[in-house]
Amino acid sequence: MGLLFCIFFSSLAKDKRMALIFIRTVIIYVTLLLIMRLMGKRQIGEMQPFEFVITLLIAELACIPMADISIPLLYGIVAIVSIYLLHQIVCLIDLYCKPLKYLISGKPSVVINRNGIDEYQLKKNSLDVSDLMESLRTAGYFSLSSVEYALYEASGSFSALPKAGYEEEQTSVPLVIIDGGEYDEKNIKLTGMPLSFFENVLKKQGIKKHKKVLVLTLDGTGKIYLQEYGKKRVIFNVQLPEGVAW
Amino acid sequence: MVKTLISILIALGLLIGISIFQMIHIEREFADFSAQLEALYDKTEAQTATREDAEAVRVSWNEKKKTMHIWVPHTDISYVDYWLSEGLSLIDTKQYDQALSKIEVLIDICRKIPSSYSFSVENVL
Repeated sequence: MGLLFCIFFSSLAKDKRMALIFIRTVIIYVTLLLIMRLMGKRQIGEMQPFEFVITLLIAELACIPMADISIPLLYGIVAIVSIYLLHQIVCLIDLYCKPLKYLISGKPSVVINRNGIDEYQLKKNSLDVSDLMESLRTAGYFSLSSVEYALYEASGSFSALPKAGYEEEQTSVPLVIIDGGEYDEKNIKLTGMPLSFFENVLKKQGIKKHKKVLVLTLDGTGKIYLQEYGKKRVIFNVQLPEGVAW
Repeated sequence: MVKTLISILIALGLLIGISIFQMIHIEREFADFSAQLEALYDKTEAQTATREDAEAVRVSWNEKKKTMHIWVPHTDISYVDYWLSEGLSLIDTKQYDQALSKIEVLIDICRKIPSSYSFSVENVL
């Protein structure tokens, strides 16, 4: 270890440029550490949009003057302090001015409620049903029918309120058969059933065209989650042919 | 709230202070150097400039350079260094006609560098 330090410092002494970069790096590191510490704990955990922007900018601002010795170090420090100033102002707005807070940070979006998926909220957040399913699975819920409410927080994280006893219901992974009015051929093959089976299911529910369906999922126990565009969800069971299960 | 407001005021004060000081300091230093160059230009034009005159300008610039590195990009400073060395070596060898054009470029640079730090639309954009 001591030998490594000796080699490092002797190389610094020989190459002044390297020594400069080392000193500049130390100054920028200490400045950044101080600024991040002043910004508080929120910056380290889940980030709001404005915090994410700041983190991206600070990384870039710190790197350029650190490595490019033709730029005065002060330029980097002034830019970082400016970012800190903006951050503090936005934090004040975030705490004390609700209308501006929503403008800067955004609002949570309730994407699943008691009526089913809120397609307007999904579109507003540039998401589709498969994104929602993915978020649900990440949160530990494999079926759309497992949750009462689900929402995307302003920070982008996903929260859900599960139904009572949802764990007992999660015995099989539901497959998305119709997503945004389109059949998922791959998942239909996985179920091992013909397309006509699902067309019959839709007919029995009084739906003439699959294009009108926002989502249809089927699990291995025959439980179907069906929701038409602009309508409430319907959850029912169908009899699966003998030997079909997953 | 109070802590945040204090930190905002301190940061704002520091930034405003630094920018005002930078503007005044750079403008003053370059105006001073420009005056020295103009005096050298007049002497060169009259073909009376000596090695000592040239050396005095170089010493003055080297002194200014020490603090200038904090505020001005180092490439701008080396640009002045380059033209100053050329001009002074031409004076040293009594090639006054050629030295005049170099000093003229230097005077122009001394006018342009401070103006690139002023608050103007072209500098902001």
